[in-house]
Amino acid sequence: MRRTILPAFVAALLVLPIRAEAQTAACAGLTDATEIVDCVDRIMRGESSQGIATMEVSTENWSRAMEMQMWSLGTDYALVRILSPRKDAGTATLKAGTEIWNYLPRVDRTIKIPASLMSASWMGSHFTNDDLVKESRLIEDYEITLAYEGDREGVAVWEFDLIPRPEAPVVWGRIAFQVRKSDTMPVFAAYYDEDGELVRTMTFFDYRQLGGRLVPAAMRVVPEDKPGEYTEVRYSELEFDVDLDEDFFSLRRLRDVR
Amino acid sequence: MRSAWWKIGWRNLGRNRRRTLITSLGLALGYLAVVVMAGLSRGLVSEMIDNGTGMLTGQLQVFAEDYLPDRGIYETIGGREGVDVEALVARVAADPNVSAAAPRVYAGGLVSTGRATAAGVILGVDMKLEGDVSRLLSHIDEGRAPTPGQYEIAIGREMARQLDAAPGDEVVVVAPGADGSLGNDLFIVSGIFTTTITELDLGHAVAPIEVVQELVALAPGRVHEIAARVDDPWAADAAAAAVTAALEGDDAGLTVRSWTEFRPEMVEYANLVSSMEWMLIVFVFGMAIWGVANTMLMSSYERRREFAVLLALGGGPRFIVRSVLAEALVLGALALAAGLAVTLPILAWWSAAPPDMSWVYGGFTMAGGLMRPILRVEWPTSMIFITGGAMFVTALAAALYPAYRSARVPPADTLAGR
Repeated sequence: MRRTILPAFVAALLVLPIRAEAQTAACAGLTDATEIVDCVDRIMRGESSQGIATMEVSTENWSRAMEMQMWSLGTDYALVRILSPRKDAGTATLKAGTEIWNYLPRVDRTIKIPASLMSASWMGSHFTNDDLVKESRLIEDYEITLAYEGDREGVAVWEFDLIPRPEAPVVWGRIAFQVRKSDTMPVFAAYYDEDGELVRTMTFFDYRQLGGRLVPAAMRVVPEDKPGEYTEVRYSELEFDVDLDEDFFSLRRLRDVR
Repeated sequence: MRSAWWKIGWRNLGRNRRRTLITSLGLALGYLAVVVMAGLSRGLVSEMIDNGTGMLTGQLQVFAEDYLPDRGIYETIGGREGVDVEALVARVAADPNVSAAAPRVYAGGLVSTGRATAAGVILGVDMKLEGDVSRLLSHIDEGRAPTPGQYEIAIGREMARQLDAAPGDEVVVVAPGADGSLGNDLFIVSGIFTTTITELDLGHAVAPIEVVQELVALAPGRVHEIAARVDDPWAADAAAAAVTAALEGDDAGLTVRSWTEFRPEMVEYANLVSSMEWMLIVFVFGMAIWGVANTMLMSSYERRREFAVLLALGGGPRFIVRSVLAEALVLGALALAAGLAVTLPILAWWSAAPPDMSWVYGGFTMAGGLMRPILRVEWPTSMIFITGGAMFVTALAAALYPAYRSARVPPADTLAGR
């Protein structure tokens, strides 16, 4: 089974736009690497959002696009429902705390995903869910240093190096994260394993206003071992600070997402 | 002339029959020990191979060359178009060493009762053919095997425990499909198998192949593997080569491998055991050689006067050496006859009715195969001959020094009693 995800993209999708807002609000004027990343990280939490996105997965063997609707509350709660294609429509995934549940409309059953499969594939895409399932903050798990500050292809950027702390329960050996200085928009995140080998690269693009904020409306993950494959997510709708509470993220709601 | 040497040897042995009897019995018991130990260790190896490959994998596997090591769900035999599975199975089974073949589909997925979910391999098998290739289905000890064409599934004992599922219960099976979709369907647990091999009991579920194909969006002509049974595991390599040759050409892109490739540790163990057979020979006969040499030395010492007379009559040292060696050879022949007389019936009885040792120990797993608590014995045909040869070598080697001593007896002094 392909090792990939589910909730990671929820995190990425719902959280990164919020992160994008960071610089204009709370993060403006920060210069220390840890402070900048922590600031972005803190803003990622405790917010609710709702959106519609299209996920396009292209593999060696098949390509498909799925439209999905998603809700999130902080990083503890997320709900995703597939709208199309028809075959998968209604399939929904709930993340509540550290538990993940799937609803399968075809058999009208809800199943709990075992802990051992938290990092397994979700709909065959190339995302992993490690950062979502682990509920700690980036600065708790990683030593953050500014690796580079200057121009990259004519754009002023910061490049942060995130090295896991010795006791941190994370799978990555290092994350290289590039952020545009002008608007604090993420450019890319490169994920390395413990041997220092690049595993996958996530790039952000199509920066535009959604839900009243500047966000990267599209992101693409390319696995290093299969450079011809990718997963791309594009938002069509996004709203922030919607009225959601924890009760919304229930098994009952999972079965009957409206 | 040659028969005269045998006669001399035979008569010399007859001079002290008790000593001859004891010496040859010692050698015969050494023979028994080596051959029976070889039979037992080969039995252990056969049991291991049989259980390691017979439970699930089969002794021979055919799959698309890109299937391994990832076991991608898309890497079916014949690519996207698939193949005429029935014809391919027939062609694999046509090899004289192959006794049965069956198609399989492998999917990685989840089996869930809702409350609990287990991850594992969803194995799609031809319910009619699989029983001739592997024993997994025969280990269903609660309920029954899935019915062909029905959404029924047999799960391992440990998986059943984790899911708290029993035959008749409904489970959801989820597996990523070959088209990228998330295959999911309701299955009824038809049975639970217990192999005591954790990997199987915990991580495997078996369902009819046509149902699994539907679950993971594979057309009926698309299978991942043809597994085959080769009754004599040591013929599997030859069978793999023959099947490869038979499938070449129109079925390009196939890989055929025998158990010796996918279970190399079992081959290594078998090699280790067979090298220990030689050590056994060296140890047993290395000890026996001193006993025989002692006997030969004593008998040649007693016959010093006889040798002196022979030498005085112009017999020559060579003549003496020959007569002593002939005696040793006849002793070896006697011991072999006695050894065979004792060993063969014991082997025959043992291999026909291997003693049940379950009162001493239960079943255990070894190299991923379940070992039954029985002392299985294989006929160590080669060892029956090799050990016989080793016994003659022992008898001859033991006689070399006594023969040398006898040939150097000083005739005059000896006859004079000095």
